[in-house]
Amino acid sequence: MSIKHQMSIEGNDLRLDFDKEYTQIGKSVPRIDGVEKATGAGKYAGDLKFPNMLYGKILYSPHAHAKILSIDTSEAEKIPGVKAVLTSKDVPDMKYGISPARWDENIFCIDKARYVGDKIAGVACIDEETCYKAMKAIKVEYEVLPTVLDYRHAMDEGMPLVHDNYPRNINTEIHQDFGDVEQAFKDAYHVREDVFTGTRAYQNPIERHSNVCIWKDDKLTIYPSSQSPHYFQYYVAREFGLKMGQVRIVLPLIGGGFGGKLEPSGLEFVGSVLSKVTGRPVMMSYDRLEMFQHNRGRHQGTYRIKTGVDKNGKILGCHTYFLLDGGAYTGLGIATAYYSGALLPLTYEFDNYKFDGYRIATNLPACGAHRGHGAPQPKYAFESHLDNIAKDLGIDPLDIRLINARKPNTTTVNGFGIQSCELTACLDRIAELSDWREKKKKGLPQGRGIGIATGSFVSGAGYPIYRNDWPSASCMIRVNEDGTSATLYSMSADLGQGSSTILCQMAAEAMGYKYENMKIVCGDTETAPLDFGAYASRQTLFSGWAAKRAGEKIKKDILETAAFMMGLPNEDMDLDCVDGVIFSKSRPKVKVTTFEEAAARYFKLKGPLVGTGVYTVHRTGGYHKGAPVGTSPAYSFGVQAAEMEVDEETGKLTCLNFWDVHDCGQVINPTLVKGQIHGALYMGIGESIFEQVQFDDKGKIVNGSMGGYLMPTALDMPSNVINETVESYEPVAPWGVKECGEGSTNPTMGAFRNAIADAVGANVTSLPLNPEHVWRAIQEKKAKDKK
Amino acid sequence: MYLPDFEYFAPDSIGEACQLLSQFGAKAKLISGGTDVLVKMKNELLAPEVLVSIKNLEELKKIEYVPGKGVVIGARAKHNDLVYSELLAKRYPSIPGAAKQMAHNQIRNSGTVGGNIVNAVPSADLPPILIALSATVHIVGAKGSRSLALEDVFTGPNTTCLAPDEIITEVIIPDQKMTGSTYMKFGLRAAGALAVAGVAAAVWVENGVMKDARIVMSAVGPTPMRAKKAEDFLKGKKITDELLAEAGKKAAEECKPIDDYRASAEYRRNLVSVFTKRSLRKAIDEGHV
Ligand SMILES: Cc1cc2nc3c(=O)[nH]c(=O)nc-3n(C[C@H](O)[C@H](O)[C@H](O)COP(=O)(O)OP(=O)(O)OC[C@H]3O[C@@H](n4cnc5c(N)ncnc54)[C@H](O)[C@@H]3O)c2cc1C
Repeated sequence: MSIKHQMSIEGNDLRLDFDKEYTQIGKSVPRIDGVEKATGAGKYAGDLKFPNMLYGKILYSPHAHAKILSIDTSEAEKIPGVKAVLTSKDVPDMKYGISPARWDENIFCIDKARYVGDKIAGVACIDEETCYKAMKAIKVEYEVLPTVLDYRHAMDEGMPLVHDNYPRNINTEIHQDFGDVEQAFKDAYHVREDVFTGTRAYQNPIERHSNVCIWKDDKLTIYPSSQSPHYFQYYVAREFGLKMGQVRIVLPLIGGGFGGKLEPSGLEFVGSVLSKVTGRPVMMSYDRLEMFQHNRGRHQGTYRIKTGVDKNGKILGCHTYFLLDGGAYTGLGIATAYYSGALLPLTYEFDNYKFDGYRIATNLPACGAHRGHGAPQPKYAFESHLDNIAKDLGIDPLDIRLINARKPNTTTVNGFGIQSCELTACLDRIAELSDWREKKKKGLPQGRGIGIATGSFVSGAGYPIYRNDWPSASCMIRVNEDGTSATLYSMSADLGQGSSTILCQMAAEAMGYKYENMKIVCGDTETAPLDFGAYASRQTLFSGWAAKRAGEKIKKDILETAAFMMGLPNEDMDLDCVDGVIFSKSRPKVKVTTFEEAAARYFKLKGPLVGTGVYTVHRTGGYHKGAPVGTSPAYSFGVQAAEMEVDEETGKLTCLNFWDVHDCGQVINPTLVKGQIHGALYMGIGESIFEQVQFDDKGKIVNGSMGGYLMPTALDMPSNVINETVESYEPVAPWGVKECGEGSTNPTMGAFRNAIADAVGANVTSLPLNPEHVWRAIQEKKAKDKK
Repeated sequence: MYLPDFEYFAPDSIGEACQLLSQFGAKAKLISGGTDVLVKMKNELLAPEVLVSIKNLEELKKIEYVPGKGVVIGARAKHNDLVYSELLAKRYPSIPGAAKQMAHNQIRNSGTVGGNIVNAVPSADLPPILIALSATVHIVGAKGSRSLALEDVFTGPNTTCLAPDEIITEVIIPDQKMTGSTYMKFGLRAAGALAVAGVAAAVWVENGVMKDARIVMSAVGPTPMRAKKAEDFLKGKKITDELLAEAGKKAAEECKPIDDYRASAEYRRNLVSVFTKRSLRKAIDEGHV
């Protein structure tokens, strides 16, 4: 398909070579926001300042479960500098959340507080220091109630209820049954059951949740640290009974979200009302502990998996039983619960699958969408389980994965259609890179092991978060009058993953323009058309389609104008525009013109040169309850392998080598893909070995700080990380792209656990794989060996 | 989250500092690098009305060798002053070795030796190696001065025997017979983590025989703790791997760890056993490291 064109410009000998198929994509162009971020010039929500701006804070409950008897704000109101104090009486009492059946959260607690951190009152003051003083002066009388802190016992008889309408504290119950699992177990050569447990992890983005709210007359403008301007606009408009058009969301730069900034944080609701009553802009933010309390991070769960295989290790059927600790509210957690079981059949082909899942309400911070949404912990459990099966059968862990690996153009047992899938190629390549066969044959030195695991993820969710029939993504490109630049208006959100960069690359490619001349306005609901934002790894594929189509529209207009300028018919698509140069394919001698000139001419003749693009997902998925969750136009696949050294006396782990091979379709920007994979590995290592949100026996977080919640440092990263992508092209995606941001989080924990098992023969069944857990597993193994 | 209001003094002499501390009594707090004091104030664990800073006391910053006395480390020497001290690199590299394992560069550039001692948390990283090398401290107060073995300074978690108007001016490492010393810290990540357990060992080895040994454990008791039974057990014995492992077991029996959110007591005992053995071996084989 390579378009190799040679042309001469004005009889000059200058010849342009288009060696590559593409000129703007497939290249590691510099990030569009790189300089402003690196120099510190860029503004995040917390950096914003407006004349007369006030600062606001939310007073939170110090009790995990308590009735609110009374709130006395009179002393707080007397403090100089305090401009407003709000309680539940001053704000709408409409419950919010994600799924209508489980809207269970209020702006401020009305009857009772359900976790340490639950929102009680709000203050706006001339500075933040005064806010803390004011909050201290608010007197809240509580009646402390018995708590539900352990999700494993929350369903027991006689346990208090977190919400009256969730009997036995069951927030969500899922039963999906495909094929005939019992028969599969009967037919199986070997059936094995394992139980693994996860732990609570928090995304802990570097940027704190902040926003500025300005409610003036009947217009509300919010600058939030958010992953989705559209959803925020929707949530806020709904809560206050405003029309969507009355709410403007403008995204500043975002310093990481990882799923935690997709739901309302509460700051935008409280800040809006504070702004309304004071008539001044209000800056709200969470401090680090409050971020941990607001949470919406990884659900911890207990994962029971039973699988039947034939003699060769081919999976015949699988039954999963998952118990998830959801925390005090639902939010996106309902989707997490479905995802946890729904995504499991992606990497391996089998025909019988049963999934029983429970999401449990507890008096702990609410859990939500966290990179890899619902998938990583179940995947850790399944990949560990699969290694146990391989061991039982005496099969190489690589082989059991090759035998079961999904093939392209297949449908999962739960009805997800897969087109491109290069999982086998990934497995083969990682085997080469890691020298897997040789290492298995010769064995590694004592205390060293190698482990492997697979992963897969949606490239965007097939259905939006709240029910609507809007297109999935749209955008607009406006070419500047003189053609020297073009601006992409998109409601996508660049959280640091680089979406603004690749969308501009894609737009430029489609336009026949140059990336360097692109600008982007992203995440402003007043200028950009609808896009659901950054979650479910959707923007490359979804927003990418919109950018491509908008770009093609511009190119069409440009070529029409150019044909006129060049005195050529623009028939049979003879004219093309590549990298800013317009030329005739059949008449290489014809003098070329440029995008710039044609665009300027267009404006003079016809007015603004604007192109719009839209993308709507085709209908996906089956018809069972919960069928929409996990649907996607396309799925990424990946394999990771880790070589670990285990200090058998202390359980300390050192990852010596790490390999990642990914099928993320066509790559738009190799450096950004690498960044995603390294970042996912960083988070994966954190969740595997270090990170764990811990509570005291009253439900208070004990390590909610950067010093207490141990995320890996640069020194904790493996010294040798190799990542590659395999050749792959996704037919339903623009330029064959797929995601790589979240899928890369899925295999890490399993690969580590399997490497440990390989190194010391110990079966670590609970996360994190911290030294003490590993040490205990080694002790258990030694005790067993003695017997 | 925000510092409370306080009055601030930065006197030019030790005498003046002691006088201010005694004048304001319980209302005052001495501040050195502030990496503990300010954190506590922000977290509302401490609300002094007066802060007396010793930052202007230049004489407390020195690290020098005084013949007949030993190596003198001023109480205001920062962790990174230890890390980059040529004198210590020559005489007791195990001290910079311990300092290097602390916190992050930013904290090492502000935290001081005196603060690390008087803050008196069981996980503090400097006391073990200093005690292993038989350090004494010189203390100046409003009513006079005194010298004390460092290990006798600690009375419990966050408490010392210092009166509120007393200031540690220097830490003295006497000339010694010890042929090797080291500190091994076990934290839950490679940097910026407090010790879950740590062991400092100093040994006097002659002809393969342990003439003397001092073992000090951190984060496994209310104060930095000597493993005296293990020390006695080692004395005069021929050094073998089995001997060191046995000493490790004895130290593990002596320590008094607790369960907390970082680790269980049982696991900490195991760490003490392992790191006693390993640190002894390292000090025996490699000298002061
Ligand atoms: C992020 C972070 C990481 C840390 N990591 C570590 C670590 O890994 N290992 C570790 O051991 N510590 C660690 N610390 C604790 C702290 O940095 C050290 O204890 C440091 O040595 C304290 O010294 P300072 O000068 O800052 O003490 P300050 O905060 O100034 O004072 C601490 C206490 O000592 C008293 N004091 C100070 N100097 C004197 C003196 N000369 N005479 C009498 N009393 C005095 C003060 O009154 C106060 O009670 C960490 C702290 C932070 C914030």
